[in-house]
Amino acid sequence: MKHRLISLLIIAAILIPFTIVQAAETIKIGALYTMTGRGGQYGKDSEVAIKIALDEVNAKGLPGGAKLDVIITDDKNPQYAVSVAKRYITDEKCKFLFGIISTAIGLAVTEVSKEHKVIFVGTDHAGTDLTANKFQKYYFRSSNNTFQSMMAGAYYLKDEVKNWKKIAYIGPDYAYGRDQWMELKWGLDKLGVKYQVVGEYWPKLYEPDYTSYITAIIKAAPDILVNGMWGGDTVAFIKQAKPYGLFSKMKYFHVDAGGNYEALAGLGADMPAGIIMSARHHNNWPETPANKTYVEKFYKAAGRYPSYAAEGAYVGVHMVAEAIRKVGNANDTEALVKAMEGMKIPCPEDPQGFTSYIDPKTHQIVQIQAIGTTVKNDKFPPAKYMLGNFKVYPADKLWPSFEYIDYMTKVKGK
Amino acid sequence: MKKIKDYLPWIVYFVFFLGILVVNPGTHYIHLVARIIIFSLYAVAFNLLYGTTGLVSFGHALFYGIGAYITGMLVKATSPELFLLYIVLGAVGSAFVSFFIGLLTLRLTGIYFTMLTLAFAQLVWGLTFKLYHFTGGDDGIQAIAKPEILAGGVTKYYLFSFIVVTICIYILWRIRRSPFGTVLNSIRQNPQRVTFLGLNVYKNQLKAFVISAFFAGIAGGLYAGLDGSIHPDMLHWPTSGNAILMATIGGMGTFFGPVVGAGILTGLEEVVGKYTEYWSFYIGVVVLIVVLLFPNGVLGIRKFSSSKNNEEKETEVVCNSGN
Repeated sequence: MKHRLISLLIIAAILIPFTIVQAAETIKIGALYTMTGRGGQYGKDSEVAIKIALDEVNAKGLPGGAKLDVIITDDKNPQYAVSVAKRYITDEKCKFLFGIISTAIGLAVTEVSKEHKVIFVGTDHAGTDLTANKFQKYYFRSSNNTFQSMMAGAYYLKDEVKNWKKIAYIGPDYAYGRDQWMELKWGLDKLGVKYQVVGEYWPKLYEPDYTSYITAIIKAAPDILVNGMWGGDTVAFIKQAKPYGLFSKMKYFHVDAGGNYEALAGLGADMPAGIIMSARHHNNWPETPANKTYVEKFYKAAGRYPSYAAEGAYVGVHMVAEAIRKVGNANDTEALVKAMEGMKIPCPEDPQGFTSYIDPKTHQIVQIQAIGTTVKNDKFPPAKYMLGNFKVYPADKLWPSFEYIDYMTKVKGK
Repeated sequence: MKKIKDYLPWIVYFVFFLGILVVNPGTHYIHLVARIIIFSLYAVAFNLLYGTTGLVSFGHALFYGIGAYITGMLVKATSPELFLLYIVLGAVGSAFVSFFIGLLTLRLTGIYFTMLTLAFAQLVWGLTFKLYHFTGGDDGIQAIAKPEILAGGVTKYYLFSFIVVTICIYILWRIRRSPFGTVLNSIRQNPQRVTFLGLNVYKNQLKAFVISAFFAGIAGGLYAGLDGSIHPDMLHWPTSGNAILMATIGGMGTFFGPVVGAGILTGLEEVVGKYTEYWSFYIGVVVLIVVLLFPNGVLGIRKFSSSKNNEEKETEVVCNSGN
């Protein structure tokens, strides 16, 4: 009898923890990122930030002892991304779709999210469409859209840049480049700024040689040159324009992606001083403990400083975790949508006294925008210049703008 | 006995593509096989030029893309109820464009023909990218609805695609076995001899080019409905490259080779892409193995040892070298 009791206790001792482990659910998030090629750095940075966020979320705990896990696949192109998103939902049983660098792929995947009624958290693509004319209720975005950047830019041009009239634009010839220009002009018109467009230049994405554009811009002699490029294109353009003295002939203005750490690091000492830039996250602003901790954690994990894409992914994982905590599980999608609408979500980029939040009507994260100028700063090597002299624009002045959404719907359709 | 052997690929085709519905491996895998069957049509249509006529077009994505864009844009502009008609109109549009491109490109042979088809495809791809108020630019066009009868679950659309693709593949099969198909085969083997027989090589090549574009357009239209979205990548050169890969891997000298190639390439992309971002490396390795070890493709292994004599091979090389 005694032996039997001991045997039962041993079996129970083995099985009980096993049962507990079995009961703890793993909630899967299916992520798609560009992991190779020119946009690959954004995907790699997002991957690091996701791991950091997962460690934090799982350490804090989720209802029922559940664990959050993220699967990442290289998104390649919209056709393939749609197929992977469907696999995530039907085969891998992912409860959330996540990530995506390219707006074109984001637009294709948001249709999958809508069709399958699965929440899709966009973390990097900035095309305003997804939270405006192409909005669907299962889509949320954890980083700002181009309208927020360009509206802040319009305020900056109105208030901080004096005695200018002539403006020119150069941007990649696809929707991201075109939309930024449309948004900036709309913002300037809205603010009653009088200006004269003296040139619009549309090089193709990944253009290797900008010489002809640079000479044409110098000939047009604008007071302000707005640039809508990103990544390696920014680096190439600035490197090629510097010998022509472009930066001393006009104000250079590049506020959606120009000040991304990737470009600052890529240019190093070649970065001109005093040019106006911004990005969706700054490693040196705000100087809050939250931002410093985030940047340090990233550096420790990756051995490099993060580009802005990382913050969107980091915030996105926390958004998902917070929604699960509020609802108590990850199965009730409608309740999760409700929980995310209006959710306050602390971000590394939030300055003291402000917390980013999700606009309940458009599902766009609403954030403060800070625009600065390049100043010498070698605290984040290999960058030799970082942004400084920041001007800060209140979040609610930038989004939502239903007037702009109506305009965009009229121009681009639903 | 010969009859059964002739129809064996068809039996395997039906068993595989209908068997998947009996096995019902889940929504995702039915979607995957739907992609395979649509790509099969694209590859078989392409192979009418490549494997049968001996013309290597590197711009076939153009016709696939035109089919997709015409179908998608018509659905968006009107309603999805006439979806099938729009697919046909997309194919007619592809055929129409191919006629003019064929008129110009078929004057050339070999690599010159290949490069010119690539140039035309890239030109239209560039236009699709730039005319974003009309085509949606790089964002493409989303929310392309299916008619009510095909909506709700991928199985219905799979069956629809299966029926359309099977009819198209059957027509292409009949074309290949017709006197016209024999002429195309002869053009591949020895265009000079065909001319001496009193047949017009250029006209027959043009016919093959237009027919091939028509069916590639149907494949594009079907894909627009499968995913409900279209984008310029569908017209980009890698999509043209995929057609060549599918035909080469499966066996360009066989009718059903491209179907096998479509299955291998799509399946490989799915499986490898799941585990590594370096999927293209593994696909490259497979292509390398196939090209080096099985130059006639997977379905061409059997033919490799027996069919062509040296004289026939030499004639083909000389005639297609563009000299």
